[in-house]
Amino acid sequence: MSFSYTQENSIKIASLLNRYPQKKALILPLLWLAQKQDSYISEDAMGHISEFLNMPYMHIYSVATFYTMFRLTKPQKRIIEVCRTLSCELNGSEDIKKYLDNNYSKEFEIIEVECMGACSGAPMCTVDGKYHENLTTEMIDEVLK
Amino acid sequence: MITRIVSNNFEIPDSHTMDVALSNGRYSSLKPVFEKEPQELIDIIKASGLRGKGGGGAAAGNKWQIVSDWEGTKYVVVNADESEPGTFKDRRILSLDPHLLIEGIIATCYAVGSNTSYIYVRGEYEEFSDILQDSIDEAYEKNFLGVGAQYRVDITIHRGAGAYICGEKSALLESLEGNRGHPRLKPHSPKPEFYFNEPTLVNNVETIASVPFILENGAEAYRAYGTEKSPGTMLFGISGNITKPGIYEVEFGVSMLEYIEKVGGGVKNGKKLKAVIPGGASTPILPFEMLKEARLDYENLRDLGSALGTGGMIVMDEDASMVKALKNLLRFYHHESCGQCTPCREGTSWSDKILDRFVAKRATMEDLEMLRSVSKTMNGKTICVFAPAASGVIDGFLKHFESEFLECIV
Ligand SMILES: Cc1cc2nc3c(=O)[nH]c(=O)nc-3n(C[C@H](O)[C@H](O)[C@H](O)COP(=O)(O)O)c2cc1C
Ligand code: SF4
Ligand code: FES
Repeated sequence: MSFSYTQENSIKIASLLNRYPQKKALILPLLWLAQKQDSYISEDAMGHISEFLNMPYMHIYSVATFYTMFRLTKPQKRIIEVCRTLSCELNGSEDIKKYLDNNYSKEFEIIEVECMGACSGAPMCTVDGKYHENLTTEMIDEVLK
Repeated sequence: MITRIVSNNFEIPDSHTMDVALSNGRYSSLKPVFEKEPQELIDIIKASGLRGKGGGGAAAGNKWQIVSDWEGTKYVVVNADESEPGTFKDRRILSLDPHLLIEGIIATCYAVGSNTSYIYVRGEYEEFSDILQDSIDEAYEKNFLGVGAQYRVDITIHRGAGAYICGEKSALLESLEGNRGHPRLKPHSPKPEFYFNEPTLVNNVETIASVPFILENGAEAYRAYGTEKSPGTMLFGISGNITKPGIYEVEFGVSMLEYIEKVGGGVKNGKKLKAVIPGGASTPILPFEMLKEARLDYENLRDLGSALGTGGMIVMDEDASMVKALKNLLRFYHHESCGQCTPCREGTSWSDKILDRFVAKRATMEDLEMLRSVSKTMNGKTICVFAPAASGVIDGFLKHFESEFLECIV
């Protein structure tokens, strides 16, 4: 299966080209657009980026694997990220994680992540990338139902 | 106690929209800015004593001067990576008053002679960077940015993708060039940072957001707040076991305990205060007994053996286990080491594993000695200060709460 950007994304890319002194700087934006388009970054997408930038495939691959938010396999479920860092742990993130595991692991992939910059709203999680803060079990049910 | 300089418009509804921003003073500093020569602006920033709010507290004026003096195409990069645990202030600026940041960027670019700025926003902040992008679009429409502007500046948001180390300025620039986020070796003499070999200024979001007030009201107006060596204000944050967690701007030099009581509402559920990590997870912990003298400025917290860092305080009450807290932080360091330097890659991994044995109450005296020796090796020669910071965190816990660790030894 070959990869190409949608027309809308191609327009975005064309305008991004004017924004950086070198084409190479577009690697992260291109990876993001590929992931937005397909929900993950396929080998074909990386191959496409490598050709587009005229850079070795290995470079694109090594960049894509460095950053935790890039997904190189297609997600089977919707994603919940639960923060596990100190301010959240002090406010009960472990119980939140357990509750999610026990009640929602069938429909969702539940991932523990480090501080999301929402410590005043601890404990917190994201659902499909959207922030939910000051979590309680009732609130989780409300958000996820 | 609360002082509003950077946070002045945070509570005004829809401050992120151009109309509301304009009617509340945004972009008004640009008139006096463009009436001055760039060097005059740099001198004002120097005189104001403005210090970087990204953790290091470096004098902003000197950095601006170095970039301004260096030959080449200049870049201004705004660090909005905000991944230091306990830190959540820049996000407020991005989403509640993005026009303040844009105004600050325009003035900064004019002062150092740059026409191009990037805002590197952590990938997780998509919701907030979308708000910022809308504001940037509005600023283009109103000709504050782009070809139609009095002074041309282009701003591009660059989205990170989940890597704490990309907050370190040279790793950030590597990432912005399309590479893995690996910190670079530091130069021995004062030099700017470089983006594709061109001189580049990297400043934190809050640093740049402090610029409009200073350039509009003068250095003395800023110095009216804070202390001699830590002038002005900061968006201090408070989280953990606290009644009213949040971001509250106060001037430098206020008492930490007063801040905790008066603006933070005191420790949650009437518990006793046990310890505070003063400025984000990479600053050493301080036990309650030391907090009576603690003041929120760079010098005082350094003298107490910690640091002001990002100003994000993490409060721990009498029930908090220090062993568990250190485990939490070492897991973070283990997870986030970029892996370039052996002492860091190995040290963060080992210390994380050693802590597992303390948490399980199955540690030995050798484990404790090993932890101390690993900490020492991490404080040696590494490319960036990530590993020394981890080492300082370990040492702080062992120094002030050794007995809790000894209790976990069989
Ligand atoms: C491991 C590490 C992580 C950092 N993370 C951030 C960050 O998320 N945001 C930030 O502004 N500065 C961060 N810094 C500090 C930057 O390297 C740099 O000093 C700062 O952005 C300069 O801006 P300032 O002088 O305005 O503070 C980090 C430093 C280190 C060593
Ligand atoms: S000290 Fe750690 S984080 Fe910093 S460059 Fe070395 S390995 Fe990377
Ligand atoms: S510790 Fe969870 S958001 Fe910061």
